[in-house]
Amino acid sequence: MSIFKEKSVFTRRQFLIGSGMLAATVVITGIFAKLGFDAYAVSDDYIEKRAAGLYNLDEKMAIRKSHENSEILQIYKDFLSPGEVSPVSEKAHHLLHTKYGKEIPAMIEELHAHQHDAA
Amino acid sequence: MSEINGKVLKHGEQTRTMHWMHMITFILLALTGIGFYFDIGFIGGIFGGEANASLVHRWAGVVFTVGPALYILLNFERFARFMDTIATFTKDDFGWLKTMGGYIPFLKGDVPPQDKYNAGQKMLGHLIIIGCLLMILTGFPMWLWRGVLPAAFLAFCYNIHFWVAVILILAIAGHFFLAAIHPKSRVEFASMMMDGYIDAEISAHHNEKWFNSLQEVKE
Repeated sequence: MSIFKEKSVFTRRQFLIGSGMLAATVVITGIFAKLGFDAYAVSDDYIEKRAAGLYNLDEKMAIRKSHENSEILQIYKDFLSPGEVSPVSEKAHHLLHTKYGKEIPAMIEELHAHQHDAA
Repeated sequence: MSEINGKVLKHGEQTRTMHWMHMITFILLALTGIGFYFDIGFIGGIFGGEANASLVHRWAGVVFTVGPALYILLNFERFARFMDTIATFTKDDFGWLKTMGGYIPFLKGDVPPQDKYNAGQKMLGHLIIIGCLLMILTGFPMWLWRGVLPAAFLAFCYNIHFWVAVILILAIAGHFFLAAIHPKSRVEFASMMMDGYIDAEISAHHNEKWFNSLQEVKE
């Protein structure tokens, strides 16, 4: 039985078509990749500027820490923990801690129950 | 028809390996992609949930890209010959298209002699290369740069990815039917999926121009 195989001939035309196709693919992929990396760089640049802006604003604030804010300290002394500054007092815990989802109706009930205390 | 006793090596080992790998990754990509687009929980379930199906889709995409790239770099001559064959359209190819290679019953006429690939296969070759490039070029930005690219461009990528996928899935379904099921051409299946050889008589009939350029090696 005979076996038939392709001759190992590689013509200039074949080389040019093959390398042309490869080159076109590399160029198109390169342009796409460049656009993507540029978009990434623009995004990184924006994030850096935004972070710098936030730090800058923070540095310019007269009061930068809540526990040094005289108005907050006064609220604790007058209402949340009368006579002292106690951030974890029971009233502060109930009024200032955030509730989520199914906890909200109970929190509203509780606020209604203490409505007269606040007044 | 004269009788030719022998067989022809049509597809080399690396070509067949690349075809197998591309076929498996294409099936994985198409299956998971259909699951995402139509929100079919069953398909996600096959891969252990939607998150895993998403990972399979992405990494199958990597193999789908790297596999042929490696094949081309390691077999540049073979790739260049393939590109030359599918880029060459002569009057014989247009003659094949006029009769659709004899596959359509009401289109009568003689089918002209064909290259290693007939005109239909050449067109499929172009469709697959362009389609795969579009899938790759739209797929990776959707994965890697979704947080930084403009939403309009990403939406454009999603649309291209979807419609090219539809075209490719239909084209591959046709390719599978003709290469594995149709009685006139299903001998091609064993050639690409098994040992690479095809009967010389069949090759001389279907790919006459290519067959005449082959050299005979006695064994």
